[in-house]
Amino acid sequence: MLDYLLQIIPTIADGLKVTIALFCVVWVLSIPGGIILALLRLSKLPVVDKIVEAFVYLMRGTPLMLQILFMYFALPIMTDGAIQMDDSTAAVVTFVLNYAAYLCEIFRGGIQSIPRGQYEGAKVLGFTYGQTMRTIILPQMFKRVLPPLANETINLLKDTSLVYVLAMNDILRITKSIVQRDFDISAFLVAAIFYLIFTFILTNIFNYLEKRFSVYDE
Amino acid sequence: MTFVNMERIEKHFNNNVVLKDVSLQMNRGEIVSIIGPSGSGKSTFLRCLGQLETIDGGAITVDGVELVSTDTNGVVKYADKQTMHDLLLRMGMVFQSFNLFPHMTVLENIMVAPRMVKGMKDTDIMPIAERLLNKVGLWEKRDMYPSRLSGGQQQRVAIARALAMNPEIMLFDEPTSALDPELTGEVLKTIKQLTDDRMTMIIVTHEMNFAREVSDRVIFMADGIIQEEGAPEQLFTNPQSPRTKAFLDNML
Repeated sequence: MLDYLLQIIPTIADGLKVTIALFCVVWVLSIPGGIILALLRLSKLPVVDKIVEAFVYLMRGTPLMLQILFMYFALPIMTDGAIQMDDSTAAVVTFVLNYAAYLCEIFRGGIQSIPRGQYEGAKVLGFTYGQTMRTIILPQMFKRVLPPLANETINLLKDTSLVYVLAMNDILRITKSIVQRDFDISAFLVAAIFYLIFTFILTNIFNYLEKRFSVYDE
Repeated sequence: MTFVNMERIEKHFNNNVVLKDVSLQMNRGEIVSIIGPSGSGKSTFLRCLGQLETIDGGAITVDGVELVSTDTNGVVKYADKQTMHDLLLRMGMVFQSFNLFPHMTVLENIMVAPRMVKGMKDTDIMPIAERLLNKVGLWEKRDMYPSRLSGGQQQRVAIARALAMNPEIMLFDEPTSALDPELTGEVLKTIKQLTDDRMTMIIVTHEMNFAREVSDRVIFMADGIIQEEGAPEQLFTNPQSPRTKAFLDNML
């Protein structure tokens, strides 16, 4: 039993690399994406707001799985091959668009929860809009959105398993093929433990961040 | 020469007229208090000068520079962005709700604007911050976050923060209205120090005794117009308008 586990763990760990790479790239890109969308959503131009709102509706209103399949299989056909992405690019693009849409709403709520007095205090000191956002509003917003941001981050980790439909060798796909090959379900347990360890690390990072931010109250 | 000239200011929120035809001329170094019941438009008037509200009619000029004017067709025209920004930097404003930045220490609150807006070096800002925090008696609290301070201390930091930008005019929007009664004294004392420096100031306040003590001129506003204005002694001891008299009888 132990021998078997020692034999499959490195194989599954190979899948972990794909999972982690996808997770990191998507997380790093969707945070700024979400902030930009949130700022556009709060724009004074109603057109801009409406466009972003429609985009968010589209991203939240259809399954992520469908979006991945669409991006990889349907888009090349619809554009006559003009837009054709390899599997990992298609996955990253889809995930970033989807997560940026969700984060947009979280960030928008966070920005709107900052009292108007903060903008006025910054304005009379001569801050521009960009400076106000960068140094006054967004840093305070991050403290407020940390709990929902932790939720989305952990969701992302698990959602990366959807890329198995593109035949990318992430943890889940490798695990599944081991189970089918060996007729032994132990690999499922190993995969679960990998996910749990990763989630444990993420949870602790967010706990640390919350503690860091708690040096000040509002 | 008139330093601050606010002429026939009009302001309405939707259909609610807040200011109808309010004018104010001030000389450099003059201290004007605006008193009046809640909803009289006195804060709004101050906020028009601080560019926190846009006016719907009238004109504002500061030191000969036009911030906004209204042509004969009633079209309100603001100056270009740069002029507005330059004028804003000549003013410091203190709010009823302090509006300190909660995620920054006291010292950071003072230093952030000179650094970001004026591009000053930290080594140049530090002596200014130290002098101002000593002036308001809070240098030893410099590394604390605002939430650790009392309301009175927070307001004194807010005053120091405004002064760090070296403004020529200070606007106080009910600076003690959010404070417990025992904390108003320390804030009023700090403001009084500034009056000794002969800084141009407009103070919107409910503190009658303070207004009487520090002001060169007191304006009584109600229902969006100036009901009466004059030297503090005259206005407080011998008010001409029955509206003023009724208000003062209530307050004192």
